[in-house]
Amino acid sequence: MSFPINSRYLRGFIVEILDQPLFTDIYSNVEDFIPEQKAAYIFGTSVEERSNHLEYWKGRGHNLVLVPVVEINPTEISVEVNGNDTKVQLRSGEQLQRLMTSIGKDCIYLDITGISHHVWAPLLKVALQNCSNVIGVYVEPGDYRFSASPKEGEIFDLSERITGLSPIPGFLSLREPKEEVCFIPVLGFEGTRLSYLIEQVQPPGEKILPIIGVPGFRPEYPFFAYHGNQLPLTRSHAWRKVRYAIANCPFSLYYVLQDIASQYPDNFMKIAPIGTKPHALGAVLYKIVHNSDVELIYDHPIRKATRTKGTSRLLVYHISSFISPVCWS
Amino acid sequence: METSNSEKIKPEQYLSELFGSYKAEWLEEKLYDLYTEPAYFPELVTPRPCLLLGGRGTGKTTVLRCLSYEGQFALSGQDSRRIPNWRYYGVYYRVNTNRVTSFEGPELQESEWTRLFAHYFNLLICDLLLQFLEWYQLHCSKSTSLSEKDCSRVGMSLNLQNVKNVTELAGKVDSLKIEFEAFINNVADGKTPLLSIQGAPIDTLIDSIIRLPQFQDKHFFILLDEYENLLDYQQKVINTLIKHSDKYSFKIGVRELGWRQRTTLNENEQLISPADYVRINITEDLSEEEFIKFALAACNARVSKVRDGDSTLISDISQMFPTLSEDDEAERLGVENEVRKIHDTLKNSVTPEDLSVFDNLNNLQAYFINYWSETENFGLEEAFKDFLINRSEWETRYQNYKYAVLFTLKRHKRGIRKYYSGWNVFIKLSARNIRYLLELVDHSLMLHLRKGENLSTVVSQETQTLAAQDVGKKNLSELEGLSVHGAKLTKMLLGLGRIFQVMAEDPIGHSPEVNQFYLSDEKASLIDIKDAEYQQLITSAIMHLALLRFPGSKLTDDGDTRNYDYMIHPIFAPFFVFSYRRKRKMKLLDYQLLELINKPKETIREILSQNNRSEKGELPDQLTLFTGFYSGNS
Repeated sequence: MSFPINSRYLRGFIVEILDQPLFTDIYSNVEDFIPEQKAAYIFGTSVEERSNHLEYWKGRGHNLVLVPVVEINPTEISVEVNGNDTKVQLRSGEQLQRLMTSIGKDCIYLDITGISHHVWAPLLKVALQNCSNVIGVYVEPGDYRFSASPKEGEIFDLSERITGLSPIPGFLSLREPKEEVCFIPVLGFEGTRLSYLIEQVQPPGEKILPIIGVPGFRPEYPFFAYHGNQLPLTRSHAWRKVRYAIANCPFSLYYVLQDIASQYPDNFMKIAPIGTKPHALGAVLYKIVHNSDVELIYDHPIRKATRTKGTSRLLVYHISSFISPVCWS
Repeated sequence: METSNSEKIKPEQYLSELFGSYKAEWLEEKLYDLYTEPAYFPELVTPRPCLLLGGRGTGKTTVLRCLSYEGQFALSGQDSRRIPNWRYYGVYYRVNTNRVTSFEGPELQESEWTRLFAHYFNLLICDLLLQFLEWYQLHCSKSTSLSEKDCSRVGMSLNLQNVKNVTELAGKVDSLKIEFEAFINNVADGKTPLLSIQGAPIDTLIDSIIRLPQFQDKHFFILLDEYENLLDYQQKVINTLIKHSDKYSFKIGVRELGWRQRTTLNENEQLISPADYVRINITEDLSEEEFIKFALAACNARVSKVRDGDSTLISDISQMFPTLSEDDEAERLGVENEVRKIHDTLKNSVTPEDLSVFDNLNNLQAYFINYWSETENFGLEEAFKDFLINRSEWETRYQNYKYAVLFTLKRHKRGIRKYYSGWNVFIKLSARNIRYLLELVDHSLMLHLRKGENLSTVVSQETQTLAAQDVGKKNLSELEGLSVHGAKLTKMLLGLGRIFQVMAEDPIGHSPEVNQFYLSDEKASLIDIKDAEYQQLITSAIMHLALLRFPGSKLTDDGDTRNYDYMIHPIFAPFFVFSYRRKRKMKLLDYQLLELINKPKETIREILSQNNRSEKGELPDQLTLFTGFYSGNS
């Protein structure tokens, strides 16, 4: 059964991306994905099932350099390159640069599935500075183990879920070169996180411009997002300003941000990527390209071991191919 | 707000904008339009450093922003001619958590972070001051150009060479910020740039500014809002500037308990009030009368914007909220039915003359006699006879319990169990917090209009009560997102709220209107009160207005939690259904406060049992959302 949508109602809320080039390969079956040879594959493993998809092709890669990443603390990681363990400070351009040199590949896969934002974001930045072909990889979860959207009356414990507000390493902004500010929360399901960010950022009421993932990983997810964020969206009146970007597409998010920037040219953009990882990827890319006009706001969630179960689609994002024309435009 | 649009826009839309934007940050330019000067304002505009202490929603941001040059300009009707006559000029900065938290980490020692943060603060304030100079010149058409020598001096204090004019200085300060941002983003590389000396560039720049003819005899204020967002060592950095700056003064906005560090960078050097600064506690220093006056003016300023053509729809907001006397409230709560039943019981056992005395009592008093007899376990007839003999004693008893007994009329029943209505009641519920009062007014008027009423009729007591419950619920649900400890606060409040609710509906035989507690260390071994979790909980509860605290009888140290009496903020009283009046207190053991979070069901039972009560009957309707929590499943 199909539900026809009158596109007139969506105009102004959703960015037309039909004319935009596609930079994403989608694999319905994770096992079908095999990375290109002569590349490096940076990844992290978590206890989430979906971060283990490497097992399907690991043995088959001849010239593929696998680079496992382990998080040590908020500003330090341990990386294994060709059998050697190295500790890398994430707030060190030189150490990150040396890491890229030691990897020594011009094509880098960055699998963000099992790595936290505060780790993959600085790795992405240095990879883009050093490699001609940076490719993102992300595996959607099969399902969430808990009720995806908190119900009214359920008490949501932020201290178990987030560390608190602080900059992602390498992405601190100390300047606000524009007089006005707009706040762009890229939403997940957990409205308490949005409330917390609104309380911390204290954006002007009329300048909260939320983004929700539509279509979601699953058809019902956008409704979960609305439901979970209902209170802060209602209280701030921000529900009137919601925009949509495809939940598993960083580029769709990027285009929406670009669209907001063109509508609010005099505004410094504070973007809070608390939704899907592909959306966070889009936000980080936008920050990398428009550094001085953008600040990333992030609350650093504490990942639960058993948060998701199963594996759904695998997505491959051709970031360098996307970013180059964007940078030139 | 454009008056010309008023005919096209419905009143509720106006009201929503005027009262629904409780936060200063959300009002934007309207903030100045709706500004009402608080009583402590004259103290704030003296050249002395001030610490403006107040909970969320007490108006700190509004006042600080009105002290800024942008605020003064808006308040003066954007009249550029008046700018040179101002006595002071303030630059406003809200401490940005996302930025200040970047100045910590394992890469450096705290002493190194201190130097870096001090340099950053210099850049920040110099940038704000230079923006002010540019603004002044633009609006007053009077040059604010500092001499080349002065520009060079300021430049040198920031390690900048060859700075010849203000424009160049502003450009170079901006470049320094860019470079500094890049440095912090790569702080582990250790390539520390040349740093400025703490406070030196600010001193030098302000010294240069006040030598310009137009700024002679003027004061400069640095307005720092949300001081609590600074890390501990960062507070010491600014404290040092507060203590030693003589060319300008700081006006600091901070939440109660948010000023965690009282020393300068020299551990032996304390900041002491009134020697070093003026401490203004918005809630404590404002008398009840002053708040009432201020609140009425603030609300009336808003409603005066709601117009129908040329005439205002509401002239005095306080008249919109009629109250109920205790007797009238008892009638609304169904006392007549109860008294009829009592009459029927008595008529077979007392003389017609005595029955006539009973019938002539007002209903609440008649109900009270029966209620007392039931809870004290002697018969109605016996109690009534005792009443006839000892009327004066019963009168005293009745007066003591008259208000408390209202909570029993509808206990365990559906619907409104207690009314919260009247302008004065709203003032009490807000506990001198202007944001809470605005919320109560907003919700009541919205509900009133949604029921099909208009602004020419008063808001019914029922609507006021439902609105007050909503406001309590809203603020309870907002607690979760106020800080990372929000969930614990919510659970603690749910636990305490339920305890006071059960105690309120069972007052006879106990002290009436118990709604405060003090913390006892009787079972001290069960908890380490210096424990971070415990301290964070108390601090967070005060900072985020879950609890109010009052100095106890043996106040010694600000940090000692046992020297205070605590009370759930009265804004939550209608939601939980207990008395908002600050009356009597009970003892709570230190560990029980934490156990309310971890084991709510058992701990609520334990505390109620300590107070000779138990949970009976259904939760009030509005609490049923939290059935899971109360049954220990959440």
